[in-house]
Amino acid sequence: MGDANLLTFPARLRAANLVRTLVCLVVLAVAVAVLTLVFGRSGERIAVQMCVNVAAVVALGVFCGNTGIVSFGHGAFMAIGAYLSGILTMPAGIQRTSLPDLPAFLAGHELSLWTALPVVALTGLVFAAISGTAIARLMGASAAIASLGLLIITHGVAVGAREITRGSQTFFGVPRVVDLSLAFGAAVVFILLARAYRESPAGLFARAARDDDAAAAALGINPRRTRFVSWCLSGAMCTVAGALYGHMLGAFSPASFYLSLVFAHVAMMIVGGMASVGGAVTGVIGITLLQDGVRQFEGGVEVFGVALPEVFGLTTVSLGLAILLVIWLRPTGLVGRFELGPGAGARIFERISRETSPARAPARVSEEILEAEQLSKSFAGVKAVDHMTFAAPTGRVTGLIGPNGAGKSTLVNLITRQYHADGGKTLLSGRDLSTVSAENVARAGISRSFQNLRLFQGLTVYENVLVSALAAGHRGAQAAAVALRELRAFDLGDLAATRADALSYGARKRLEIARAIAQEPVILLLDEPAAGMNPAETDDLADRLMQIRDERGIGILLIDHDLHFVNRLSGWTVVMHRGTLIAEGAPDEVRADPAVIEAYIGRGRTAAAITRTTKEETLPQQGVRP
Amino acid sequence: MDLIIQQSINAISLGGVYAMLALGLAIVFSIVGLINFAHGDIMTFGGYGIFLSLAFGMSPVAALAIGIGAAVVMALTLERTAFRAMRGADVVTLLITSFAVSEILKVLFQNTISARPVPISFPAAWSGTYEIGGATIGVVPTVSIIVAFVSLLGLTLILRRTATGMAMRAAAEDLEMLKLLGVRANRVVAMAFALSGLLAGIAAVIWTAQRGSVDPMMGFFPVLKAFIATVLGGLGSLGGAVLGGFVIGVLEVLTQAFLPDGLSPYRDAIVLALVIAALLWRPDGLLPAQNANRS
Repeated sequence: MGDANLLTFPARLRAANLVRTLVCLVVLAVAVAVLTLVFGRSGERIAVQMCVNVAAVVALGVFCGNTGIVSFGHGAFMAIGAYLSGILTMPAGIQRTSLPDLPAFLAGHELSLWTALPVVALTGLVFAAISGTAIARLMGASAAIASLGLLIITHGVAVGAREITRGSQTFFGVPRVVDLSLAFGAAVVFILLARAYRESPAGLFARAARDDDAAAAALGINPRRTRFVSWCLSGAMCTVAGALYGHMLGAFSPASFYLSLVFAHVAMMIVGGMASVGGAVTGVIGITLLQDGVRQFEGGVEVFGVALPEVFGLTTVSLGLAILLVIWLRPTGLVGRFELGPGAGARIFERISRETSPARAPARVSEEILEAEQLSKSFAGVKAVDHMTFAAPTGRVTGLIGPNGAGKSTLVNLITRQYHADGGKTLLSGRDLSTVSAENVARAGISRSFQNLRLFQGLTVYENVLVSALAAGHRGAQAAAVALRELRAFDLGDLAATRADALSYGARKRLEIARAIAQEPVILLLDEPAAGMNPAETDDLADRLMQIRDERGIGILLIDHDLHFVNRLSGWTVVMHRGTLIAEGAPDEVRADPAVIEAYIGRGRTAAAITRTTKEETLPQQGVRP
Repeated sequence: MDLIIQQSINAISLGGVYAMLALGLAIVFSIVGLINFAHGDIMTFGGYGIFLSLAFGMSPVAALAIGIGAAVVMALTLERTAFRAMRGADVVTLLITSFAVSEILKVLFQNTISARPVPISFPAAWSGTYEIGGATIGVVPTVSIIVAFVSLLGLTLILRRTATGMAMRAAAEDLEMLKLLGVRANRVVAMAFALSGLLAGIAAVIWTAQRGSVDPMMGFFPVLKAFIATVLGGLGSLGGAVLGGFVIGVLEVLTQAFLPDGLSPYRDAIVLALVIAALLWRPDGLLPAQNANRS
């Protein structure tokens, strides 16, 4: 793929996104056309159902795909949508006989579907906001189970509230107004909405938080809020899809929205691929065809003269097997990790040759100073950081060294509020940062890299950096320009459209720093940026960092075990041992400090002996940590 | 007063069942990261084991043993056929796999045995009552409390005091490292599934003794509660699972006993809403699992 061209013609990225949306729509349109043209009336019925399912599953995917959390709760939203829309649109005559005890504020509205839908969507949004305050706090499997709890709660209420829902009896009299054009139109609108959200800054933030919660927070993204926003949008969309489902069925009961429906929709999403809108569409089409094919055999059928017995639940088994086969053979789903459609480097985009205006050269930051005062943190009685006081001003690289376990990474985590300090505070030019959230530390102008790589694995290299620029407050084309500028600065242009988890180790390390720099920070905290790099790569990194320091005047707090590397860059060295400050000063002075030598080598060898035997050598280099 | 004693016995006995199911889920989750939706079907299979052995004329005690054994065998079979191939996959993938397995098993139960409940009749003496201080207390709830506590205690001893238990706790920390140390990971994982099957089997015995019938969905609903219990306690924390199980059992009995009649259809909804409210207050659960996650 000609990724390098993306740096010159970023418009191709946007074009690729458009084409991918088109591909989703075309796939659906072709499936609908084939069904209706080949199978006539029965095909049209299947097509209507398929389109409504596309709407529901695409809505489900807005939450699941962007946050990585499987939700079983959207059946609750569908039930609310179906019942509410049913009650609002029902002819008053039928309503009086079927729901005699309906509360007055719900009775006798006789709205048309189009006036009912906004009410339904709004109700769904309110319900999503209420349930989302709880569910957005949870992650992974806990959130999935909590959403299952939501489904059970809603089902229980639907069965219990007899005067509104007729309990577990059939709820009938809902106008069957969903025809093929309405269902297809709804599916198209939902696909457009889902695609737009996925590629929007909010969707990008959600996907970043999905891949790494802590790294997203360190960029100033609030992971909980991204889950909440996705949940609300997805919930409101699901409620509308539920209303359509209800108007398609005409009569339903709480069981229609319970586990079997949820199971079918989750299966469609997983089979197609959870991470993309194209996956949801493909999954629905595939499973619908499979189910309708299998249904022919459910009532018992004769195959080649052999009468097969009636098998109850054959469609369920086929769904289960489809999920198992897809998960075993293709864990990311039929569509895989990317959206369906050509990548930005594909040949069809070669005509697009509009260049973007390059980002302005980074401005020099104003003079600020990061100060730690008496910072302390204990883990179960071990004083990891003990009354540390030091300063890192802009315009200088401050080296932070010390043996393994000295508390250096803990100190960085205290400054960025990944950990909460037991005592002491951090100040940025006098502003107290020791009570704000991790996101606000980032917004104050402090960005960081992580000792153990924390990239957004499911995003491309370009998106990794773009997220950072967007989170720092750049908008639209300007964010893109900043992202491209930093990619260029760290020689990652050729890899722009590659997924981060496909990079080599050295490129990942550089990408982490590029991501941090794209925030245009005042202070940059680098936790072992050169660990695991070979000497040539380390030298290259040092050159790039010096250039950044000189061009932008930012302050860098540099932790590393490679003392040549640290000494080459730093104007000031701080030495930690067992959580406390044991020395600080110009690199040359610190190097000769007996306390420092003792910390690294241990008692018994005097400083003089060390300087005599090693002469020009600096302190013995510690082994490279993996 | 006697009402309070009766209701507390009921609450603890129901909580004990949830606690055993939740502990079974938590053991498997902590080691392989699987939230086992099919756990309920393991329990159901245990119930059918009892039903079939009684139907073939075995003594009730033998039938109970066979029921428990059936649950263990089912747990091991699922591990070997469905979940071993998926080892190391992420939590969501594993969850969906077990979801699919569970749906398939339910259809199998429906087609091979019956979609309707089948009766299990134990000797009448087992369902008797006795009196303490004027309160009438059932034999079954009392026995189930004793059985639940003995099982939980026994499991704690296994995990704390035996080499296998230590290997399982180590596996919960880092299965890959355990392999490198030469411990047979497959055996440890199988052991975890066997224990969870054992607990599900015991739960099946208590459940069928109280309800007197088995149907394809028998295990599903108590296990749903047990899922909620594991999250309430803190996903991956064994102590939390047991605590969560008891809390949900107690909440359920309390709401059943003291809720006004008008609200009784909403009992499950109210209990779950309380649990979700508790998660707002403690998102990591009541007794969060310890996990060191360096940045």
